[in-house]
Amino acid sequence: MTGAVATARRSAVRRDRGPAWLRRSRSGTAVALTVLVILAVAYLYPFAISLATSLKSDAEAATDPLSLIPATPSTAAYTELLRNSDFPLWVRNSVIVTLAVTTGRVLFDSMAGYALARLRFPGRSLVFAALVAIMAVPGVVLLIPRFLVINSLGIYNSFAALILPLLADAAGIFIMRNFFMSVPLGVEEAARIDGAGPFRVFWSVVLPMARPALITIVVLSFQGSWNELSHFIVASDRPELQTLTKGVAQLTAGALSQGTQYPLKLAAAVIMSIPVAVLFIVFQRRITSTQDGAIKG
Amino acid sequence: MNQHTTPVRRAARSRRRRAGAAGAAAAITLGLAACSGGTGFTEETPSGGDDGVDDGTVTVLIGSSGAAETESVEAAVAAWSDESGTPAEVLVAADLTQQLSQGFAAAEPPDVFYLSSDQFAGYADNGSLHPYLDQVPQADEFYSSLLRSFTYGGTTYCAPKDFSTLALVINTDYWDAAGLTDADLPTTWAELRKVATTLTTDDHVGLSFAPEWQRIGAFMAAAGGTLTSRDNAAATVDSAENLEALTYVRDLLAAGVAAFPSSLNTGWGGEALGSGNAAMVIEGNWVVGAMTADFPDVRYRVVELPQGPGGPGTLQFTNCWGVAAGTDTEAAVDLVTTLVSPDQQLAFADAYGVMPSVSTAGEQWAAAHPDQAAFLAGADYAHGFPSAPGASAVLADFNAQLEGLPDADPAAILASVQVDLQAVLGG
Amino acid sequence: MAQRTGRRSVTRQGVAGWVFLTPAVVILGLFLVVPIAMAFWVSISDWRGIGNPMTGSAQFVGATNYTELLGGDGLATKDFGRAMRNNVYYVLAVVPLQTILALTLAVLVHRRVDAGRGFFRSAFYFPSVTSSVAITVVFLFLFSATGATNRLLAVLGVEGPNWFADPRGVVHLFLGAIGVRAPYESGPLLLGLSWWNWISGPSVAMCVFIVLAVFTTSGTFMLLFLAALQHLPGEVEEAAVVDGATPWQRLRRITVPMLRPTLFTVITLGLIGTWQMFDQVYTGTGGTPGKTTLTPAYLSYQVSFEQQEWGRGAAIAFLLFAIIVACTLVGRRLLGEREDPR
Repeated sequence: MTGAVATARRSAVRRDRGPAWLRRSRSGTAVALTVLVILAVAYLYPFAISLATSLKSDAEAATDPLSLIPATPSTAAYTELLRNSDFPLWVRNSVIVTLAVTTGRVLFDSMAGYALARLRFPGRSLVFAALVAIMAVPGVVLLIPRFLVINSLGIYNSFAALILPLLADAAGIFIMRNFFMSVPLGVEEAARIDGAGPFRVFWSVVLPMARPALITIVVLSFQGSWNELSHFIVASDRPELQTLTKGVAQLTAGALSQGTQYPLKLAAAVIMSIPVAVLFIVFQRRITSTQDGAIKG
Repeated sequence: MNQHTTPVRRAARSRRRRAGAAGAAAAITLGLAACSGGTGFTEETPSGGDDGVDDGTVTVLIGSSGAAETESVEAAVAAWSDESGTPAEVLVAADLTQQLSQGFAAAEPPDVFYLSSDQFAGYADNGSLHPYLDQVPQADEFYSSLLRSFTYGGTTYCAPKDFSTLALVINTDYWDAAGLTDADLPTTWAELRKVATTLTTDDHVGLSFAPEWQRIGAFMAAAGGTLTSRDNAAATVDSAENLEALTYVRDLLAAGVAAFPSSLNTGWGGEALGSGNAAMVIEGNWVVGAMTADFPDVRYRVVELPQGPGGPGTLQFTNCWGVAAGTDTEAAVDLVTTLVSPDQQLAFADAYGVMPSVSTAGEQWAAAHPDQAAFLAGADYAHGFPSAPGASAVLADFNAQLEGLPDADPAAILASVQVDLQAVLGG
Repeated sequence: MAQRTGRRSVTRQGVAGWVFLTPAVVILGLFLVVPIAMAFWVSISDWRGIGNPMTGSAQFVGATNYTELLGGDGLATKDFGRAMRNNVYYVLAVVPLQTILALTLAVLVHRRVDAGRGFFRSAFYFPSVTSSVAITVVFLFLFSATGATNRLLAVLGVEGPNWFADPRGVVHLFLGAIGVRAPYESGPLLLGLSWWNWISGPSVAMCVFIVLAVFTTSGTFMLLFLAALQHLPGEVEEAAVVDGATPWQRLRRITVPMLRPTLFTVITLGLIGTWQMFDQVYTGTGGTPGKTTLTPAYLSYQVSFEQQEWGRGAAIAFLLFAIIVACTLVGRRLLGEREDPR
């Protein structure tokens, strides 16, 4: 991949004139804009309607499912969820798991990525090859295997079972490795010449430098563990270890009951979307360019 | 199998359709409210949750139809706990089938649990269950048809918790509005079709029942059909009687005088009745509690299902109190003995509408619930579910095919179920 | 990165390297590699969920679990066949639709050079970051019998189906509409299903999941296309403009071919993703109606965690694994062959 500077220059050129084939007539632009607006409405409407419906009464949700403005807004669904249910417990558990997993991944992914990119030691290429192979293992295939190993370790029905298996991920290590491969060596070398050992170099020189990549890892792990479902299903069956995704999924699965309790279920969906939405808004630029880095490698 | 608690307890995915208003309400309650309702786990730190089995606490896993059931089971278990000095906790399952299976596989099963008759054989077969019936003092008072549901390989493993049957539940306002009287209560299939036609308007359909054996099977029973031979050795699904029943049901659907709850935008029969989308539904005892909780203003009455060509027929559903093999079975059996005592069962029946599993409490129940006499009357001629490991999967497949009934060939459905059930029984 | 800082440093690096790697290697090994080996053993055993399968509670049964799934005529085969049929239709519908939609979105968004670009990019990407559980809940509401979708259709004079309760295949419905009736009696063709079963198409309920998948994944893939569009060299196009090529010709002859590597990446990721459909089924339907939303991933869960046939469940998981690996390899080969050296 060419350097960032070249990319920037190229897109700057692009911005000035616009790519030739994309520059069309005014009417073409108007049509394109209309299409974009229609599509954007289609993409955002489901979220708007969830929010609106969560503020309706059951009856209104059934009789007027289209309207974006509740006739008589009511927070009854939210009160029910937060006061008379285990929902707060689910939120608490999800927060605990997500924070632990995110911290773990930031630390372990960056350590492993750094070792693979910058340190020379026997077995490195073997580990790297294994990592590439592991990345190909689809998560859904791991349902039964993870359950078996969690059992064998005797950690079934514990926070350890929810958290430990998610603490490192091959993709994250890969992203960190690629980042460390792309940064210049100078600072690190200087520190090393000053007599600092690998751990000090990593902790006080490399990590602070790796902030952009670390943010990527934070965003990906937060989103990944907050939205995780299948792992939580197999890791425990105790109500006190219930997480948001599993709780809401079972709440919904209990009834394929069209027209019933939708405000409540949608309120749950809205609340569980908020942290990710906030993360998304804060790191919007990073997130939408993350995919590029992650995939290009 | 599906009890009064059906809608929720078996969030069992293959039949989730029957979960409905009560289901949703109950799911919320059990997933949410019930759990905060003092089960005790919140005080317990989850890190110690690991050894729930070994610390002497008796864990009771139930699938609940709602707050009423949860609270009464909790109260009964707490009372036993106080008296015996053994700590106990009640856990309300969000999905009982899955949680039970996962608990056993993880070697952390609950000590005492609801076990439905269709799941029973699988657990008995793989050695999960502790047979304890001989230790229960009132063992000979249980209805023998219920005990048969929990007998596998010559051993009766567990005590029936209670039972329910199906009956015809009628919205009396619609009934009166259509000019029908007591003389019109259907006693034959022809009459059922006639009143269903009379009751069908633009606004609501005459009759509704879920597309599953657990409802449609009542027609098969009334036609004289069965799923297996008396000794459970051979499948008898593809009989002329069963074909007649399915054809009758299909014709009702095709004529537009009957409809599945899902096509009425409801989750189960009780909701179809309560929301006014159906004038009559085929449901069990559990409908009473759901109507009281969710649709208190709807007037209804319960009558026996009409006789078919083979005479009267209905289905019965039951759960037993399973006790896991290898855990603290002594305390568990002691708890179950308390829970199945006639007095306790009558208390449960009052709280959430089931019928006691002991004949000695039957009369008292009938006296207390004259409006539900039809359910108890059904006990005389009700069919149960054949107990064989793997049969529940066959049943799930049967139900999946029944969902397509309006368009499907009844003979083809029965033929395929016949093959699958025979494979399970023959193995 | 080949630095020469002396022998001592190399040794220290060696120790440090392994220390740095240990946490990740232990976690991935313990929760990825070891479990897969254990599950493989279970898939060739008769474990029924009682006792520890590693210490004698399970007997070796060879390939029985696999042959029951692939070669039998019982319920196990039929269920696996249904799950395969459902998922094949899902893949065939979702992968092309999401790819085309993602490319369209990318081209449209790329055209915009003003502030609107960021807004549209975010709008289209937002569904991708939201939890699949939350989105499924929303879709259950939108596609309920009298939900928003059917209200909209009613405005257009169309009576919408009862989406999540309708097990009829869309091809079956189409053939019915033009007068072709389903043959009542026909023997099994493959995996216990008749040929009519195979061609009857995704059910109406599955179609909702197809829309859901396209809705949630197109944003991610749009970002990949957008990145690729930004990296397209301008010179080639300018030359084409000089040569007098029309905009459509330039898009088709120049841009799309140059996007080919990204296209293959998107298709490969799409194939891998669509074979893993689980969350939506767990949350939304549990395989209903009529088992037409059953997928191999969900079936493997159901067979082991609900029916206690752990050996068979694990076998389904490995068959699914094989399918996904095959998709990855095909994708990689295509990518390797077609990718332009950059």
